[in-house]
Amino acid sequence: MLPQQKTSDTELREKIITLFFTNSRQVFANLRVGVMHGIVHLAGYVDSLAKRAMAEEIVQKIHAVRGVVNRIEAPGAPSPARSIQLNLTDSRKIDDE
Amino acid sequence: MAHSSSSTANTQPLKDALAQTLHFNALSLEVQNAILTAAIPKHFAAGQVIYLEGEPADHVYILASGWVKATRMTPEGREQALLILRPVEIFGDIAVFSGTPYPGTATALEEVHAWAIPAETVIALINQHPELAMAVIRKMGDRVLYYIGLVEDLSLRSVEARLAKTLLANATLHDGQLIVPRRGWSTFDEMADRLGTVRDVLSRALKALEAEGLLRVEKQAILLLNPKGLAERAGS
Repeated sequence: MLPQQKTSDTELREKIITLFFTNSRQVFANLRVGVMHGIVHLAGYVDSLAKRAMAEEIVQKIHAVRGVVNRIEAPGAPSPARSIQLNLTDSRKIDDE
Repeated sequence: MAHSSSSTANTQPLKDALAQTLHFNALSLEVQNAILTAAIPKHFAAGQVIYLEGEPADHVYILASGWVKATRMTPEGREQALLILRPVEIFGDIAVFSGTPYPGTATALEEVHAWAIPAETVIALINQHPELAMAVIRKMGDRVLYYIGLVEDLSLRSVEARLAKTLLANATLHDGQLIVPRRGWSTFDEMADRLGTVRDVLSRALKALEAEGLLRVEKQAILLLNPKGLAERAGS
């Protein structure tokens, strides 16, 4: 069983949406975000692979995020419907405080 | 670039879809009309996300055409296919009725046409129409039975047995031969997800069944050479 999460999925989702909305370049305001068990799911569209990677980086830096499932569409990006397996090596993030 | 879209409703396709949906095909005209009025037509390109795991459940969907995959990420980071949905099917409903976020991610495997009904409208309609509530309960009952079967499969059956069962369930008769057509998205990874395993294990299971003469893997289809033998393996 997972340890008690300090940050709930709902709080985490709100935090990410706020970060995306207040991003100085406003390129992430329309992205979709879901959070379950501290794993963040992203979808929507950006116009470059760099922005797609940046969105993931922003999320990865947030404390309590255990992993990111990046299904954001961008030119040259892999299909959002592809099968994704995460390597969650850092599960301590959710119980170390 | 793929975007979902909605447009002004021509409700006849939805009427036809409801007529093909078990438990919903017997609804009175009044209830059907209430659903038709509330439904928003949606289009998703192949590969596009319909909703994400952990997103607030704001719509129930009726799948009119195209195939949809529903997956869930385990807390350990492993993707598990929950359902492969074929038209006509209702999805997104469990989260709406349980008041939780969507428990899985739904993606379009091919071009999809669906109808979205806002969650609050669905709840209001159910409160007004007991016959709709009964149709929903029956549908949920079917889904529970499906998941009981999935749990049983994952916990009690080998990958080869699950593979044999899935192939038989999806086979069609073509020129006197039982085949499972390989759709564009039907990669080994997708099949592995669906069977709750990984690509390498699935590949070995296919080879094992092929070596026994039960099936043959071809580029466009998997030929079921010995359905009786496969049925026996499915039960093991």
